[in-house]
Amino acid sequence: MYHALLTNRYLTSRVIPLIAVAAVALCVALVIIVVSVMTGFLNMVRDSGRTLMGDVVISYPVTGIPHYERLIEQIEELPEAEAATPVVDSWGLLKMPYPDGANKDTETVQIWGIEPDSFAKVTGYTDTLYWRPPAEQQLKTMADDDPRRQMDEQVFLDGLTLHDSRSDRAGIVLGIHISIGNDRQSDGSIRPARNGYWWMPQWEVTLTTLPIATGGGLLEPESRIFPVVNEFFSGVFLIDDKRAMIPLEIAQRMLHLNEGEIVDEEQLDDDGLPKVIGVDPAKATMVLVRAAEGVEPDELREQLVGVYDAFRAQLLEDNNALVKPPPQGMGLSIKTWEQQQADFIEPIEKERELMRTLFSLVYLVCAGLVLAIFWAIVYEKTRDIGILRSIGASRFGISWIFLRYGLVIGIAGALVGVGLAYLVVRNINTIHSAMGDPPMWLAIIMLGLALVAIALTIYHGRRGALMPITLGLLVSMTLIGTGAVILVLKDRGGVVIWDPSVYYFTTIPNEMDTGTAIFTMIGAVIFSLIGAFLPAAKAADTDPVRALHYE
Amino acid sequence: MHKTYRLGRVDVPVLKGATLHVKPGEWVAILGPSGSGKSTLLHLLGDLDQPDADGGEVLFDGRSLASMSRRARNLYRNRSVGFVFQFYHLLPELNILENTLLPALVGLHRWEYYRRIGQLRQRATQLLESFGLGHRLKHRSRELSGGERQRVAIARALMNNPKVLLADEPTGNLDEATGAEILDLIVQQHRDGLTVVMVTHDPAIAERADRIVHLHDGRIAE
Repeated sequence: MYHALLTNRYLTSRVIPLIAVAAVALCVALVIIVVSVMTGFLNMVRDSGRTLMGDVVISYPVTGIPHYERLIEQIEELPEAEAATPVVDSWGLLKMPYPDGANKDTETVQIWGIEPDSFAKVTGYTDTLYWRPPAEQQLKTMADDDPRRQMDEQVFLDGLTLHDSRSDRAGIVLGIHISIGNDRQSDGSIRPARNGYWWMPQWEVTLTTLPIATGGGLLEPESRIFPVVNEFFSGVFLIDDKRAMIPLEIAQRMLHLNEGEIVDEEQLDDDGLPKVIGVDPAKATMVLVRAAEGVEPDELREQLVGVYDAFRAQLLEDNNALVKPPPQGMGLSIKTWEQQQADFIEPIEKERELMRTLFSLVYLVCAGLVLAIFWAIVYEKTRDIGILRSIGASRFGISWIFLRYGLVIGIAGALVGVGLAYLVVRNINTIHSAMGDPPMWLAIIMLGLALVAIALTIYHGRRGALMPITLGLLVSMTLIGTGAVILVLKDRGGVVIWDPSVYYFTTIPNEMDTGTAIFTMIGAVIFSLIGAFLPAAKAADTDPVRALHYE
Repeated sequence: MHKTYRLGRVDVPVLKGATLHVKPGEWVAILGPSGSGKSTLLHLLGDLDQPDADGGEVLFDGRSLASMSRRARNLYRNRSVGFVFQFYHLLPELNILENTLLPALVGLHRWEYYRRIGQLRQRATQLLESFGLGHRLKHRSRELSGGERQRVAIARALMNNPKVLLADEPTGNLDEATGAEILDLIVQQHRDGLTVVMVTHDPAIAERADRIVHLHDGRIAE
């Protein structure tokens, strides 16, 4: 029972164990923070894939899938499928309303022609619409000057239907980062520049598309003016920066994927025009499908492969259908969202595992730190070991004091580390914003504290003792350095580590990875124990007679 | 007993056939100049060190320490003998009550602890009170004078009611008056039946013992 008493006293009566706890805590926090952010990032990629394109995507770019309505009907008959929606995907040029002069900016955008109703059933479209009256819960956290507080429900409804209710025209919904007039705030919200002047839903934009002929050549560009009805914020920078939604039939028309007539130029009808011999059906370049509750995307994909083959077989036999759907593999693909994103997800997964492995080396640092610190403690406690041996303590008993000490330091360090990691991960976006715009008061406080430290150094060092002078200089230089770094950052406009154009998302993931936290804690405790083993063995082997004479 | 230490490449014989017999209840003073091997002899008696191979043995109640298991020897150090050192050797992190309790805690199993701790605490407190330290139970050793520290060390040595007190220059670090007080304490314990083996280089202190043995050049001379 003396082990508990001594461990407790050794821990609480000196600074060294606190340094050991702090070192273990920092190691643990480091691993958890890095892996949590990476895991969060991976989850965001996965979630966003599903939010943006449902579970399975059937795609046939450029030319599009003919008779897609029939395909969708057949898909929706599947019990595994919840809903399906057609999409026309292409690129276009968007003439923006800014700047004020005649020479307007033009952006390259990805056009998605969608059927708003079914699109919202398959994807998380409804939730991504940004301009809408806030829900009750949001009101509590929303800034007082957030323009959404005054938002009209109609703006939201117009975004949902892609229809401008004021002018009764088809509207366009832009990704929130297409317009340079949308300024992102540190809390993640958006403020249109110039006090709401550049709030996009009150402006019109001109969209120009370049339709491609069936043979592959370019046709005449098509232009159309759209009122902006809303903007969407998916959180994926690449999408929010590029994609614009317009109604499906307009997209089909602008890209010449709408229904048309097939004529035979060799034959003339009664009016002397080429004879119509059939219909060229409207096409969609993608069909997005959402799986029914509890159905895995892979399961759905397998079903869809069968449905598509049946759908194609029917049309191949149908003599009235002149345009046949393409076979699978010839540019037509059926992929789950995960496969669709594989090129993107796999490297991130590998990167995370690499990080996890590299940062696991931190455990060795943990063990090394505990070993070094305990070695010093055992050295310092040599005489105590002699005394304990003289009153009958066994060698195992002596080593158990130090093992127990290592265990306590490991557990305390792991707990503090997890707490620290939790605080940092939860507030990572705030910390990042502060780094982007370091607060001036912090610099002033640092420099103020540095002055106090210098004054104390002069006072305590007046007798020429080196310790207070060294310590004082160290502390004041650290404070001055920190203050100076803040001022330099301030001068340079802060640091942005998480650049959304590089990391795809506008916010840093802030969920702690519980699994990693638990494993890291266990690892830290085990490695602290390993670090304590050698000093404990040394303590057990200490010769009591020598120990008693140790000064 | 023979005991040789190795200093670098040189063997230094310290005890060269020292023989000592101590009767129960006897107070033996071992007198000798510094370096004569007095402390080494005491360490061998207290099982802090062992004689050379074939260098004799320590018998306690007729039983050889060398024949005992490790556990039995730990118990011997814990229950049968009590050490008092010249430099007190108290643990600085513990208060004096805890220092006194320490030998009892060392010999106690977890399941006995909760049952006996109250009684043991009472015994330690009584010991310290009888040594005039009742008002300083919560003090750390650094807050105590040399004499007070040595009294705590004696209380610690007596905590488990040992049969033998092994005292290594117990007054060597104290002034004359304080040293005399400490000796009085030992005399009192001796009168109560405690066997005392005390090492000293001061003939005046050795005079208080029942018997004086001289250690000279690693051998005992009565």
